[in-house]
Amino acid sequence: MRNDASFALAEDIANGANDNLAIEIDGAAPFAEVERMAKGVDQIAIRFEKFGDGRGFSLASMLRERGFTGELKAVGDLLPDQVGLLRRAGFDQIASEVKPQSPRWKHGYFSHAYQPAAQGEEPAYRARTLAARQARVDELNQRYADASPDQIIAAAVREFRGRIATLSSFGTEAAVGLSILARVAPETPVLFLDTKQHFPQTLSYRDQLIEKLGLKNVVSLQPEADELVKEDDEARLFETDTSACCQLRKVRPMAKAMVAYDALITGRKRYHGGERTDLRPFEFDGERIKVNPLAALRPQEVTAIFRTLDLPQHPMAAMGYPSIGCWPCTAPADGAGTREGRWAGQDRTECGIFDPSLVERAARTRSYRLI
Amino acid sequence: MYKYDSIDATLVAERSAQFREQVGARLNGELTEDQFKPLRLQNGVYLQLHAYMLRVAIPYGVLNGAQMRKLAHVARTYDKGYGHFTTRQNIQYNWPSLVDVPDILDDLASVEMHAIQTSGNCIRNTTTDPFAGATADEVADPRPWCELIRQWSTFHPEFSFLPRKFKIAVTGSAADRAAIGVHDIGIQLVRNDAGELGFKVFAGGGQGRTPMIAAMVADFVAKRDLLAYLTAILRIYNLAGRRDNLYKARIKILVNDLGADEFTRQVEEEFLRLKDGALSLPQEEIDRVEAFFTSAPADERPATAHPSSNFSRWRLWNVKPHKVPGRAIVIISLKPHGGTTGDASAAQMDVVADLAEQFSLDEVRVTKEQNLVLPHVAQADLAEVYTALEGAGLATANAGLASDIVCCPGLDYCNLANARSIPISQEISRAIERSGLEEAAGELTIKISGCINACGHHHVANIGLLGVDKKGVEFYQLTLGGVADGDAAIGKILGRGLGASEAVQAVITVIRTYLDARLGDEPFVQTLTRIGLEPFKEAIYA
Amino acid sequence: MKAITANRLTDGRVVYRCRNGAWTEALGEAIVFEDEAEGQVTLAEAAFDHLTVVDPYFIDVDDASPAGHKAVREGIRNGGPSAGSLHTGLLRTNLAEG
Repeated sequence: MRNDASFALAEDIANGANDNLAIEIDGAAPFAEVERMAKGVDQIAIRFEKFGDGRGFSLASMLRERGFTGELKAVGDLLPDQVGLLRRAGFDQIASEVKPQSPRWKHGYFSHAYQPAAQGEEPAYRARTLAARQARVDELNQRYADASPDQIIAAAVREFRGRIATLSSFGTEAAVGLSILARVAPETPVLFLDTKQHFPQTLSYRDQLIEKLGLKNVVSLQPEADELVKEDDEARLFETDTSACCQLRKVRPMAKAMVAYDALITGRKRYHGGERTDLRPFEFDGERIKVNPLAALRPQEVTAIFRTLDLPQHPMAAMGYPSIGCWPCTAPADGAGTREGRWAGQDRTECGIFDPSLVERAARTRSYRLI
Repeated sequence: MYKYDSIDATLVAERSAQFREQVGARLNGELTEDQFKPLRLQNGVYLQLHAYMLRVAIPYGVLNGAQMRKLAHVARTYDKGYGHFTTRQNIQYNWPSLVDVPDILDDLASVEMHAIQTSGNCIRNTTTDPFAGATADEVADPRPWCELIRQWSTFHPEFSFLPRKFKIAVTGSAADRAAIGVHDIGIQLVRNDAGELGFKVFAGGGQGRTPMIAAMVADFVAKRDLLAYLTAILRIYNLAGRRDNLYKARIKILVNDLGADEFTRQVEEEFLRLKDGALSLPQEEIDRVEAFFTSAPADERPATAHPSSNFSRWRLWNVKPHKVPGRAIVIISLKPHGGTTGDASAAQMDVVADLAEQFSLDEVRVTKEQNLVLPHVAQADLAEVYTALEGAGLATANAGLASDIVCCPGLDYCNLANARSIPISQEISRAIERSGLEEAAGELTIKISGCINACGHHHVANIGLLGVDKKGVEFYQLTLGGVADGDAAIGKILGRGLGASEAVQAVITVIRTYLDARLGDEPFVQTLTRIGLEPFKEAIYA
Repeated sequence: MKAITANRLTDGRVVYRCRNGAWTEALGEAIVFEDEAEGQVTLAEAAFDHLTVVDPYFIDVDDASPAGHKAVREGIRNGGPSAGSLHTGLLRTNLAEG
């Protein structure tokens, strides 16, 4: 059960509450106390009474994990041989009181690391995994360059057994991909981002499709209740900051869910334009693998599939909405089969759920939230 | 077995270079001995009674032929021609010079070996079942997890200066040949109802001054959460373990002081914060590491006979069933009657290296009983393997029997010891042989420690001996009823300490008393539970 | 009687403090004191020798042999292990290796 009395540090500094406040704490101090003292502080010096007393490394690591972005300084009895470890534990500065002039104070001996750390090298398993994913994607794209949507989905489900899901907005074109999935790999989870700001027509369309296609495994992803209260109590955040609103209602719930999956099936198509014009069937975004079985589909083919399979349309498609997201940021537009009308008048075409850096940052912040 | 990629190889090479620089800094006075000591310990370099001792890591006890040959080379080139296999599946050399150690580390690095974190207040070698990957009774092979733990624990930025040493053991089987009950963290591979592989985690076990059995802290940790869970435990320990008293600094004291429930609660709280973050093990990395650990193909050829009368005894005691048809697990006893337990000469190591390559799919293991194992020998090759072992003095047919004694180096080598352990183990071994009781007694564990630090694991022996010093005279205190594997148990003290020859006699008396009272073929601990300590006390002290 | 012993830094071997401030492996060549008080200054000097030896301390000796409660221990330090591979012929009988 998470208690979300969040760490107020960043806000205090932003409000100019404290100008360059620095404190020194003993390495033996209990973390709860350190946490309390660290509120609103710019710099924390952690004192090592003896270089063999490793508590300071944990204190630093925990402060960083829980969002402390100020300066961390290690002081006291330290050895040059500890530099690499101190750095990775999150210290920015080292001020040893033992032989500070020694020429042995050079930074870090090791060019790799096995563990995640506050700063410095990423853990070895990350580099290895990302390399493996890229290689896998290259190989899959070679094999399935000209494959049909059915073949691509079947291959993906085989390849990533148990660690693959699809994402659906239950929007204007959703039925196409979902109908193929229901036929080829019905056990695949269908993730739906229930932002709490959908058109009611989207929600009833969702229910209609679930029944018509016999979808058994639809998972509703929702924003955290306590975050909603804290960040968008009146459900009007979209009026001032649509990016923050997407973060709250889409990006973060997505990040949380994606922990269980290595691959995600999308409904993205090249003809959507923008960033999507060069979509390949398999894609490595630097973190995960995305499967785009409908990438090569053309608008006429989408229409044909609706007709042949007698798929219901989203009720708003006929009302002049080519693409449907949350109601505050979706407008009718010309250009059937495009993403016109999404964040109309803003310099955005994507909400960010497909941006790995946003998603990963959200995942890390979420997990390491200060309690 | 695991093969280094460029990251692993680079780190080991950089460590070796780092230590070379540190040795130079000690020799020219830049580092004082107090500063140098923890640094050299984290490279396995002890200063013992009459020389340095180097403890080389044998990760989870697994070696190939080239590595064993390199250990022989080190023994020959830098030492006195022998090495000592330890109760934590490592090897120790008793005579290297400090100035040679950087060269030794470079030599070891060339075959993917090192001496990283084999001593010091850090996470030590993770140990496991020597039959891993070859035994039918395992839920899954523990070795990939040992390798993943090894990497996670190496040069850890947070856990390199713990209150005290930290030892982790992993078992793939409920039979637990890794003694997880007496480790700081013990891990047992299990499956949940959905058939998914995960871990039962125990913490707070240990021997030494205050022996304790570990408490269960989690009954199922998912594979991807293993590192996050271990990090939570280590973090609680690093912050709260005692640093004011050397003898109360292990995690077992913390778990005992807090109580298992409170300790578990704290671990769970921290784990929930870490879960699903950067410590999640990617499935690709799990797959990558698991792929290195294969078992053996079946062997169809018929078994062959051997003329020696010792062969059938050897076959009975030293050969264990393999999960794959046509193969067997061979235990190489390093306990010749009257020999030094766990020692092997360079020539013997070379023989074992050849046998590993030729007959065991290039794999050999080290056991915590200080023996070696060839895990994948074909039944058809047993006779030939036996011949080679016999020629090298490695065919003693006593695996698991009374003379398969576990013994620490003791006062003959170790700075911490109060009494010698090797000479008394030699006497006991000879006495057992003379008594003719060994095979009748069957499986019986005797372990000897030269001091309370219990590196000989005497607490968990059926018959344990602890060497003590009374005004310069060596005495030995007997304990009975300890168990290392499976349901771990701490032995009970029998009575006052005995002088060396009395102690030797007492061991024989204990065995006779057991045989007299035994019902059917019940094991020693069962007889002891049934009749209690009194009959043994009377027989010895009356 | 007391002598001063330590371990040599480079190779860890047991050494004893001589009259001239050098270190020897032969206990017979060591400087001997009546008691610790008499040897205090020499011990302090020995401690300064931290680039040559590690952790010097007093031992009891009697007629160039270790004596007192630590006699067994210091005897082993002086003469080598009383047991073990070097002293057990068993392991070497089957092999050509010396």
